[in-house]
Amino acid sequence: MAKQVFSVKGMHCSACVMTLEGLEDELAGIRSLKVSLHKQRAEIEYDEKKISEDEIRRAFERAGYGLARA
Amino acid sequence: MSLDPSSNLLGLAFITGVTTGGLSCLAVQAGLLATSVARQAETDVAAQLAIKHVVAQRKKRSNRKLTKEQRRSERAALATLAQPEKPKRRNAATPIALFLSAKLVAYTVLGVFLGWLGSVLQLSPYSRAALQIGIGIFMLGTAARLFNLHPIFRYFVIEPPRFITRFVRRYAKNNASTVATPLFLGTLTIFIPCGVTQAMMVLAVGTGSPLLGAAIMFAFILGTTPVFFGLAYVATRLGEVLHTRFLRVAGAVVLILGLVSIEGGLNLMGSPYSVSNLLNSAAVSIAEASGNYQDVAAAQPDANGAITIQASNGGYSPNLIKAPTGKPVSLTVVTSGTTGCTRGFVIPSIGFQRSLPETGQITISIPASAANGNLRYTCSMGMYSGYFEFA
Repeated sequence: MAKQVFSVKGMHCSACVMTLEGLEDELAGIRSLKVSLHKQRAEIEYDEKKISEDEIRRAFERAGYGLARA
Repeated sequence: MSLDPSSNLLGLAFITGVTTGGLSCLAVQAGLLATSVARQAETDVAAQLAIKHVVAQRKKRSNRKLTKEQRRSERAALATLAQPEKPKRRNAATPIALFLSAKLVAYTVLGVFLGWLGSVLQLSPYSRAALQIGIGIFMLGTAARLFNLHPIFRYFVIEPPRFITRFVRRYAKNNASTVATPLFLGTLTIFIPCGVTQAMMVLAVGTGSPLLGAAIMFAFILGTTPVFFGLAYVATRLGEVLHTRFLRVAGAVVLILGLVSIEGGLNLMGSPYSVSNLLNSAAVSIAEASGNYQDVAAAQPDANGAITIQASNGGYSPNLIKAPTGKPVSLTVVTSGTTGCTRGFVIPSIGFQRSLPETGQITISIPASAANGNLRYTCSMGMYSGYFEFA
């Protein structure tokens, strides 16, 4: 299990936070996903065996947001 | 306090909704809508996957010759799987209409509450002015955030508690009723307002009137509806592209609203530093310096200290009255079919505020102790003002 803090680009309001936190339910292997609009960061705890960092990044991009290691 | 809707403010709220509001929350609300009809979407996906599967199977078997019967059954399978898509697209209008109707009603009710909240907070012209200036500052912060000027402006967003967003999200995902779900989700959107919507909400508080608060929220959400309805059909990604582009437009609109709110607050305080008062003073100074006194629409009380001003929808006339210092003034304010916010008449420095009749007049006694310097009068929203110059 890995825990990583990422910086998120493209968030404008709390609705964006809700959209991104919804990925927690959609992506297998993500244990928790906490997004802060104020800090523009996402704290993600995930199972590396089930999902890679790159797959998470791509999921964020599909939702219209950028993700990079903080 | 005036309960009359200000057509200017409502028009502005509606235009804000049309131009920016719909796009501002489109991404997430379109997502909520999509998930509210999740079963249909899932069926679509399943159908597409099944078609792909049949096509793949066909390719695999392309080397061997199929019988007529096998071809016929494959074509039938493909046709059956592809069929459900068309009626679903047509039916999509119903949940969207339900969703948007519920949203309109919910925000209007919220507007009543916010306006009521503003009326409770409104203790005096000064407290109202402070509230209005605070709202203006919030809006300027929101505009700065939309312009992405500095990370600190992100704190001008009010984030709903995590458990609410989680509940909304999971409800949308797990419930697929075509009537109850869109209605419920439309109502729940009041808990996840976007930046521009939040700006409208504070504007509703600032009106200090449940009726006007409701009218502002209704006008704004109504304005967002056509854009939302049209774009709800378009892919979410397109919404995001437009969203990003329109953020600056949204920022500009909120910036203007913020400045209008601060200007109103300053007028309500009777401050000489509001833009309208500064412009009035400058116009008077210029006219006096150039000797063109006729350019200055100044009036004077009669020998008994009585003066009459007209309150119309476009402001107060005259908006400059010159009177001798230390002598009481009997001010009569006349209305004739007036429906705008000028009916809420306020003289901040003597703590006077009253709702004028639509047609009629009221007389206010300004005591000798208040007859010095400049004494300002304004509408209850600080949008129109004028002043006495005691000399």
